[in-house]
Amino acid sequence: MTNTPTAETPNGKRVSKLSKFFTTVGTWLGRPENAILLILGLVLSFAVLYPLWSVIANSLTVHAGKEALIATSYGYSVQGFQIVNWWYLMSGPYGDIYLWEPLLNSILLAALSCVFALLFGGTAAFLVTRTNMPCKKWISTVFIFPYIMPQWTLALVWKNLFWSAAVTGGSNGLLAFISKGAITFPLWWCQGLFPSAMVLGMHYAAFAYILIGGIFKNMDASLEEAATILNTPKWKIITHVTIPMIVPAILSTILLVFSSAVGSYPVVHYIGGKNFSVLATSYIELRAITGDGYAAIIGIVMLVIGFLILIVNQISMRSRKQFITVSGKSAQATKINLGKVFKWVCAVLLILATMLTSLLPIFSFGLETFVQNPGDYSAFTTKWWVYHENGEVGMYGNYGVFYNKAIWTSFRNQAIVAIVCALVAGTIGFLAGYAVSRKRKSRFASYVNGISFFPYLIPAVAFSIAYYAFGLQVGLGGFTGTMILMIICGSVKYIPFSSRSSLSAMMQLSPEIEEAAVIQGASWWKRMGRIVIPIQKSAIISGYLLPFITGMRELNLFMFLVANNDQMATTSLAYFDEMGLTPFSSAVNLIIIIFVLVANLVVNLLTGASIDSGIGGGKKNA
Amino acid sequence: MVGSILTSCGGAGTAVAPKVSYIIDENNAVYKVIKEAQTMDAKDLYKKAMEELDGKEFTGIGNSSRGKTAKQYFINYLQGKDADGNPSDAIKAAFPYYNPDFKTTINWTQPKENSIFTMIDTDIQASKHTISMTLIQDANQIAAKEINTGNFYNYVPKEWVGSDDNKEPFALQSLNKIFEFNNKGNKTFTNCWDFVRTGEAPMFMAPNSEPVGRNWLIMLSQKKYSDILMDAANALTGAEKTRIEKEANDLAGKAKSFGLDEKSGKYGLAFAKLWLTQYAERNDDGPICNELVTNDAKGASACIVYSKLRSITESDTSSKKNVTVAAYQDGYKGIGGYMYKHYLQILKTSPFPWASCAFIHFMTCTYDGFKAWGKDIGGYCSNTSAGIQQDHSNDGYNKDGKNEFPVLNDRGYNWWTGIGEGKGNLVIEDGAYAASVELTVGTWIDTLKK
Repeated sequence: MTNTPTAETPNGKRVSKLSKFFTTVGTWLGRPENAILLILGLVLSFAVLYPLWSVIANSLTVHAGKEALIATSYGYSVQGFQIVNWWYLMSGPYGDIYLWEPLLNSILLAALSCVFALLFGGTAAFLVTRTNMPCKKWISTVFIFPYIMPQWTLALVWKNLFWSAAVTGGSNGLLAFISKGAITFPLWWCQGLFPSAMVLGMHYAAFAYILIGGIFKNMDASLEEAATILNTPKWKIITHVTIPMIVPAILSTILLVFSSAVGSYPVVHYIGGKNFSVLATSYIELRAITGDGYAAIIGIVMLVIGFLILIVNQISMRSRKQFITVSGKSAQATKINLGKVFKWVCAVLLILATMLTSLLPIFSFGLETFVQNPGDYSAFTTKWWVYHENGEVGMYGNYGVFYNKAIWTSFRNQAIVAIVCALVAGTIGFLAGYAVSRKRKSRFASYVNGISFFPYLIPAVAFSIAYYAFGLQVGLGGFTGTMILMIICGSVKYIPFSSRSSLSAMMQLSPEIEEAAVIQGASWWKRMGRIVIPIQKSAIISGYLLPFITGMRELNLFMFLVANNDQMATTSLAYFDEMGLTPFSSAVNLIIIIFVLVANLVVNLLTGASIDSGIGGGKKNA
Repeated sequence: MVGSILTSCGGAGTAVAPKVSYIIDENNAVYKVIKEAQTMDAKDLYKKAMEELDGKEFTGIGNSSRGKTAKQYFINYLQGKDADGNPSDAIKAAFPYYNPDFKTTINWTQPKENSIFTMIDTDIQASKHTISMTLIQDANQIAAKEINTGNFYNYVPKEWVGSDDNKEPFALQSLNKIFEFNNKGNKTFTNCWDFVRTGEAPMFMAPNSEPVGRNWLIMLSQKKYSDILMDAANALTGAEKTRIEKEANDLAGKAKSFGLDEKSGKYGLAFAKLWLTQYAERNDDGPICNELVTNDAKGASACIVYSKLRSITESDTSSKKNVTVAAYQDGYKGIGGYMYKHYLQILKTSPFPWASCAFIHFMTCTYDGFKAWGKDIGGYCSNTSAGIQQDHSNDGYNKDGKNEFPVLNDRGYNWWTGIGEGKGNLVIEDGAYAASVELTVGTWIDTLKK
């Protein structure tokens, strides 16, 4: 009897506290948003901190080979963690060439890419959403094409178009070939910072278009109307009302573009030229000439830049001004009348621009699949598509695409991985966005929000190498194992796309709506199925589409994880490019683009949502 | 017992060539298998491999994508079939243990962006191992990162016959990257220094992108090759001779500090410096070749893998006839390019050591095994036995017996590696030498990026 816990005994008090604790925890976990936050917090912490730690540990490890040679020559031990890699890279003979100059170039490249993306994407978004310009649906649909294409294919298009024997050496590109050498472009246009930034800007303009367009589309026009009533000049309305309202979208675009451009390797690899190196090219080069330790340092520098941009972004978001009018909310944003002639001028210019950035590359890929020799436009053939006999030496023993089982199998594998990644990342991102928005004042929610974005900042190459090591530890090898590994790695890496999309949508959804349903006794599943998801359907589906598109064109993340080079469409594509079999790589690229476009169209027809929906395209705007 | 023998280092430019030696753990299960396999006949070795592989998944990793083709031929062979998948009486006779129903999966991956060493090291350090063997290039890093650390073991098949130079580490083949130029213009390239004369920009893969190119530049500092460069420089005349002499003399102090040959070392450094300053960077040899053969690439030059020419289809604007191999010209002076090797090595943690040995045996000791590479010009099997290496000395002749594409008539391994007038004078990659000057010449080359 004396051992029975009661409220009067110290024991009893302890049990009572324990019981109270469990009750509190049970109640806390009984709220779905809390349970979601706890599970995601734990899972994402491991999924993100594991590769992060792997990169840091690598930078402090002296690897065999040149790293060990350097360390021992300066009297350092090669055992345990050492700072010699950091010290030598920052102050040794490699510092200027592989760290400081590439760092400066990377920042310039990222900044210029942001400018191009914002100018191109922002202008298009404005014209499509806020004016009476015609052909909006066409422009809106075509505008996202460059984002669907792998970056380096756009770089190849640039090279194929503008390079010439007279300026870059070798043979003539398409324009110089057609003009028999009369049209040539200066070297700065062909190689280096400018073309790299242009290509990245074109590629990421879709971010600016979607984010800025989304705000333009839904913005409260009463602010501008009030200013107009007060006889405010148009330029002042734009600089003092319109632009401040789209600042969050501009900041988000900068965050996404800058972080991506800083870590972008393939574009500079193809058109940077040997005198323009960035951190991403240093990362690859240092791995070859020194080892993984030096490369990891570059990876950390890239990550820190991304992290700083993220902090600046968050500070800017917190300090942004709120606007209000005393005249009430306008029902609909007014369209600016561009005038009979000018609206067509704008449309034609934008159509021309999108044709250059979107349709020309596709045409170029298509054309490449019919040339006898890559880059030789004097003789055409259908062999790259239909040949299916042995003995065609120019094809390195490959059958034409229609008969090439390996190409179609790799495409199927890519589609499987992209779809599963999209489902996993989309769902996790959606739940993260929901839970964070419901607990927006909680510190743990802020942590989950931050950690869910972190994969975006870790360079893809470093990320996948860490997961490669993880795969080995848990026995994920061979074809099936590597497919699972790619799904895990891809899902974690793509969560930022869906979590950002979901969070911004959920923040617009007032908690009172859901609370009303709670009062009515609706279960969480019912609330989600009947209220939350239907209201924010478009944004949620976008959160699935972005990982899907990225997964369909992903190379950097998968190239270390595949068991066979022809396992994925993009690794096959890279192999064909490397072998100089660009007709095959162009064909694979074409297949990927068409597949993504058809998938986007099907989703649009079935759900009304699409990547560009809510701006100019999409079913509801048709 | 762990026998530890490290690389012995001769002086950088001296005649004593450094050698690599393996660190062997005699209790290692993989090493024990290799030791036994080296004494076994092919048929017994293949039988062991079949027992080990049956129904399982084997993973190889390599710098050459053609390992993918070779692996299929290997499986065919174990099933008693030829490379095309047809039952073969000859194979059945040579390998009586064949099994037409034998099933296995061989994965072959070709990592990009210099990640092969990362993947191998990660696999070795993991608690579970996937990669069994590798077909790998870059002798410099192989020596420093994998052989000197005891990660790789060497297996030489019993039936293999060849030069000792190809034995440790064991080479599948030697490949040449040679100086070529487009002959449509008026330019001439009769001396290797012509490729770095004022205004010249030979197309080349970035040395940091493909480290065998970096090793080539390091190898130029070895006396054997810097002597050739010095002789070629002496054969120059006029302003270019003056320019080259000045470049070389400016680097004399550097050569001395690196311990290179007093007379010729500076020429090796001068060539490397001019090459790195002037070359036009391209991403791969395939695209370079596609450019070089066009009519509008008049006078363009390059240093690329010889075999790339084979994929060119004749058209109005592209032709193999537009290209001249520099070293094939009468009276050509200096080096003709360089030669590197593909090595076959077994990881000390190989999950399938018998199969690794058998696959290596198949690639180096059978016609079908080397066929994936042997069908091309510019690749030379390390096994000098008859019936492995295909002859390409007349590949440029058409069906009518006319020498239509002289550029395709490969003069063979001995010609290319020969030193002296009328020979290929290729710079042959030597991992031990490159590793021995990595800290001096290697670091200097890395800082000449621009």
